[in-house]
Amino acid sequence: MTRHFLYLTNSRLVSLVTRRASIVARREFAVSGAGVEQFERHLAELADVPTYLFTDLSEEDFRLDTIPHVGARDRQAVVTRKLSQIFRNTPFRYAHMQGREAEGRRDDRVIYTAITNPEVMRPWLDVMERLKVPLEGIHSTAVFSAVMLEELDLVFPHTLLVTFTPGDAMRQSYFRDREIKFSRLTPLDVVEGQTLGSMVAEETTRTWQYLDSLRHFTPEDRLEVCILVHENDRPSVQASLRDFAQIQYRLLDMGDVARKLGLKPPPLGSSAEEVLVHLFLMRPAPNHFASPEQRRHATLRRTRRGVVKTSLAIMAASLLWGGFTAWRVTQATSADDKLENQIAALNREYDKVSREMPSFGVGGSTMRDTVTFYDSAIRAFPTLSDFVRPISAVLQAHPNIRLRQLAWQATDDPKAIPALQPNASLQTPPVKAVPHAEGSAAPAAPSKVEEANPPFATGRYEVALLEATVRVGRDDFRVAVDTVETLARQISTVRSFSAEIVESPLDVRSSYGLEGRYGDKQSDSMDLHFVLRVVRDHGAGA
Amino acid sequence: MTQVFSKEGFSSLAGSWLILGLSIVMAGSVVAASQWYLQRERQESGNLAGRLQAARTRLDTAQRERSSLQESVEVFRTLVERGLLQNEHRLDLVEMVNELRARHQLFALDYEISPQRPLTLSGGRAFPSVDVLGSRVRLHVKALHEGDILGFVDDIVNSRQGFYTVDRCHMKRIEEAGGANRALVPHVEAECALEWITLREKRANRPA
Repeated sequence: MTRHFLYLTNSRLVSLVTRRASIVARREFAVSGAGVEQFERHLAELADVPTYLFTDLSEEDFRLDTIPHVGARDRQAVVTRKLSQIFRNTPFRYAHMQGREAEGRRDDRVIYTAITNPEVMRPWLDVMERLKVPLEGIHSTAVFSAVMLEELDLVFPHTLLVTFTPGDAMRQSYFRDREIKFSRLTPLDVVEGQTLGSMVAEETTRTWQYLDSLRHFTPEDRLEVCILVHENDRPSVQASLRDFAQIQYRLLDMGDVARKLGLKPPPLGSSAEEVLVHLFLMRPAPNHFASPEQRRHATLRRTRRGVVKTSLAIMAASLLWGGFTAWRVTQATSADDKLENQIAALNREYDKVSREMPSFGVGGSTMRDTVTFYDSAIRAFPTLSDFVRPISAVLQAHPNIRLRQLAWQATDDPKAIPALQPNASLQTPPVKAVPHAEGSAAPAAPSKVEEANPPFATGRYEVALLEATVRVGRDDFRVAVDTVETLARQISTVRSFSAEIVESPLDVRSSYGLEGRYGDKQSDSMDLHFVLRVVRDHGAGA
Repeated sequence: MTQVFSKEGFSSLAGSWLILGLSIVMAGSVVAASQWYLQRERQESGNLAGRLQAARTRLDTAQRERSSLQESVEVFRTLVERGLLQNEHRLDLVEMVNELRARHQLFALDYEISPQRPLTLSGGRAFPSVDVLGSRVRLHVKALHEGDILGFVDDIVNSRQGFYTVDRCHMKRIEEAGGANRALVPHVEAECALEWITLREKRANRPA
């Protein structure tokens, strides 16, 4: 980052251009004559560079004060009022807060400083205003020079920092416990027979006397005088300096200081502006004298750059987001391609399976329905011969039973009763049961008329009525009944078969009447009629 | 900040504000467009996932159907050969009955074939691909022995041509007439009813 530093003294204006942490250009302009015009031409080339103005003027005045410790807003009001009272003729004024008193009501210590003659600033500021130079601040060299003592570890109770300015002047700044209390600028008017060293010795002694008169020292206090001087000037200065009990001189070699602070290349003379600018680059300080109006170009410049940077950041973020999204889309597309391949493979497999599907010119569902219907409705449909075969086997054990008719039905209704035809040729037994008038002797025979469109039964049940006769000896009804009951039981033992007697050879239930008729002719045997109902349950037998 | 929002500040920063506005609009456009594109891609991915699932399901169904059909293909072939999916050939039935009559030496055979009709299946059951049709056949048979009748009926049921389910049969011994030659008269008569079942593919019924 490029910055422009201006170092203004009463006779010279030094322009220093820095890039990163190095001074890359230096020019000097005279305060009088054509200096301002030359400066304007020079500044036009640096009109967009942030500019910092350091003042090292004899018109800078300092006042110490204490004010009650109040809130920030009230303190600002007090300080502003005090500044306007003390330095009413200049806008270049600044109050530097220095902590609090150790005793009493612990007031705030403050030092007021101002450039009492604003006219020395005017020509330069006018040029900057015309060129809309971004002025970041106007800084007091004396106030800022406290940073030098801290960076060089020159921490003493009483320190007098002596620096030389580009305009052949000597700045003496007095610090008590790191706080600046006083500063003055003295022109270097070396008269005949006097050396720089003797002048420094005279001026520092004079300053000690002045500070002592202001009761800054006790008898035990000693003032450490730190003089920043180039090695070229060092012999002439060092020869004239004599330490006293109250004054101790310390020469700060410019080369050593530059090396310690990392300033490259080191300054070529004793003037301190390059060291101060370098210190500012190391530890930037707040603005001292410039008003917001004077700094507005810098404010606008910072805002403009901030807005542009924000715009770039937004664009970069959106492009990053767009890139990230594009990457996700690419990933998704890649995954989609895999899915497409899987779908294509599945479709190919489906086509292959379809080709391998057995076909007889009909659809698969037709085949399935046909086979399902066959399996469920036709394959296991009962047959008459399968039904009568086990019954015939049972009947073989009863030669006295003669089967006369069989009515068989394959149905889904276990209570179905097939129809028997009346048989007129049956022999009437001498004793027979008579149904009660209101009772039901036998189940009502269903109509022989078949339905026009009977539902198709699955044939779970086979129901049959067997009409037969049993031959027994004369009047041997007990044997007849026992034989028929035995026959029914034997049929019921066949798996999935059950048999019940619908009409017994002689129904002896109490609910029936009973009558006997014996004539003259009686045979030795009799054929007694009975009816069995036989049910075969394929569901139960399964 | 006062300078920024002053008239001079606005005019000085107009370009910057414009750049900021444009960058916000462009950034919004980039983000919106990329999101829209991503959303569309996700939707397509979702559709693809659905298609993949559908393809898997279709393949599974086809594989199951193939497996099922392979198991029943022999059965189906037999059924087709026996005429389950064919029209009735009544002349064949007439010839078969006459042939069986002679084979079982029946004394008398009366039969009656009703018009073909859709069969009402038990429980209202229906098949999506086929219609079940039936023709009611009634037989009246007289024979010397009940075994002849049972054999006759069994031969009809086990016929190689057509499917017949005998669901009713009434057999009755014929009382002997006095003085007749017992060897030459029928001793048993039977009345049986059966369904002659055929199937018809529903697709074949649709108008072309």
